[in-house]
Amino acid sequence: MHSDSIATNSSNIIPMASSNAKDFAKKKRVNRSAKLKQCKLDARREQWLSKVNKCSSEKEDSNGVRVLGPLSKAGNVQGRAMEKLEIRPRGEEENHGLHIHHYSDSESPSNSPMSHNGSILGGNDSGTTFTGSSRSSVSSSRSSSSSRSGGSCSGSMSEEDEEGDDECLDDWETVADALAATEEKHKPDDHSLDTDTASESKDVAHGDSHPDDATGAAPDDDLKAKPENGISLDRSTVKCRAWRPDDVFRPQSLPNLSKQYSFPMNPERYFGCGGSVWGCKNVRPAPTSCPICYEDLDYTDSSFIPCSCGFKLCLFCHKRILEEDGRCPGCRQQYKNESGKVETLLDGNSLAFRLARSCSMVTRS
Amino acid sequence: MATMNSESSNNSNTAQTRVPVSSKQPLQTAKSVDTQSVLKRLQSELMALMMSGEEGISAFPEEDNIFCWKGTITGSKDTVFEGTEYKLSLTFPADYPFKPPKVKFETGCFHPNVDVYGNICLDILQDKWSSAYDTRTILLSIQSLLGEPNISSPLNNQAAALWANQEEYRKMVEKLYKPAS
Repeated sequence: MHSDSIATNSSNIIPMASSNAKDFAKKKRVNRSAKLKQCKLDARREQWLSKVNKCSSEKEDSNGVRVLGPLSKAGNVQGRAMEKLEIRPRGEEENHGLHIHHYSDSESPSNSPMSHNGSILGGNDSGTTFTGSSRSSVSSSRSSSSSRSGGSCSGSMSEEDEEGDDECLDDWETVADALAATEEKHKPDDHSLDTDTASESKDVAHGDSHPDDATGAAPDDDLKAKPENGISLDRSTVKCRAWRPDDVFRPQSLPNLSKQYSFPMNPERYFGCGGSVWGCKNVRPAPTSCPICYEDLDYTDSSFIPCSCGFKLCLFCHKRILEEDGRCPGCRQQYKNESGKVETLLDGNSLAFRLARSCSMVTRS
Repeated sequence: MATMNSESSNNSNTAQTRVPVSSKQPLQTAKSVDTQSVLKRLQSELMALMMSGEEGISAFPEEDNIFCWKGTITGSKDTVFEGTEYKLSLTFPADYPFKPPKVKFETGCFHPNVDVYGNICLDILQDKWSSAYDTRTILLSIQSLLGEPNISSPLNNQAAALWANQEEYRKMVEKLYKPAS
């Protein structure tokens, strides 16, 4: 879908993109180390942020296109790497910039956050409106090149996502802003396409890149909450099957889309890989309270069936019984695999999720 | 009430005087963390038992102690115990339901598995206890035990020996039966 439309105006983009491949690799490496640092030294986030801001303003300056940022030239390594990176899209943008910008904004859901990003970044950097549009052209040109070489829609989608994220890591906080502010609806579409069409290895790599991004994200001073939301949204859609509706760690900014994904999946019914344990649950009438202590069963308790006879009880009573004779109250048989039962059940659950996901990918592609 | 019962059942006076002492004692010491959960369990059982309206069995706590219940069972139809009613005492331990309650006949019961003190030999009240049992199932089990005794391990050898002759057994039951007033 991208390749067709972009091919009309991107004839000179592709060589540029490929000629800068080494720079990208270098840039990536720099980014990776920066990301690692980020993970370890989360306390220095603010410092890093200001550094990035300096860099962005500096590269504008050195290109001579537009100097709007009040910050001086920092001239460090990172800035130079970014400068090299930015030359290509900027030069390209002078030719096609307006057209591509407009195009990507309207066409691709994954590109539009970038262009939105531009406006927000401009606001943060006291008016560097230019970087935003250049970023969008970066991603659009990248997508066009990859789709050209790959020749498949899935390749273009995943690669674009991956690299676009990687590339904009330095401005990730703005990406997060944009995601949180405007793209909550676009994102799921993007990822559903992604997971449907992308191959497994790409998806793994994709999933790997996101937590890095998330930890590397430096929220703005004034928009601290929003970037976090955007990040968690992003992560959750990548690993969307992992969230259950009542998951404790499930971000509260995920009202609908996670449910949309998890409910149709219904791993208990269609992917009862947990074995008879999950099958039993649907057959037996589920008691609402523990038959031992008469306390109400919560979600964990009601999905907890420690014995093959199907007798349910709450985790507290189960633990208590294990401390004594360790026999199931329902059938008087000794509990098998006593201690690790809860963990294996939960693992089985997530396994079911994972399998469900890979199954869908296999069938689609 | 309790004193009247003990007077009426003349064959187990010593046991009757011991029961209240031994039942009050664990209550005083049962200040563990899960006393609340035991209370909840017993209250829920009481509610369920009263709502179920089960034929032939009933139970209710003593006035000030929910750990001590008084229960009644009636002899099932077509058994030698038909038409008789028996009072029982149920004493719940502090770690109920993980440990079984102590159940005794307060009314004298001529039965192979009940001794002269009212003690009951029933596996589910000992090693076959399950925390899934409750007062209702205990009383129902005892009720069915009346009609289907386990002759092989008797507490009352005379009753076990007589069980084969049901007519004689019925006469013996009627003779020894002293209903609680």
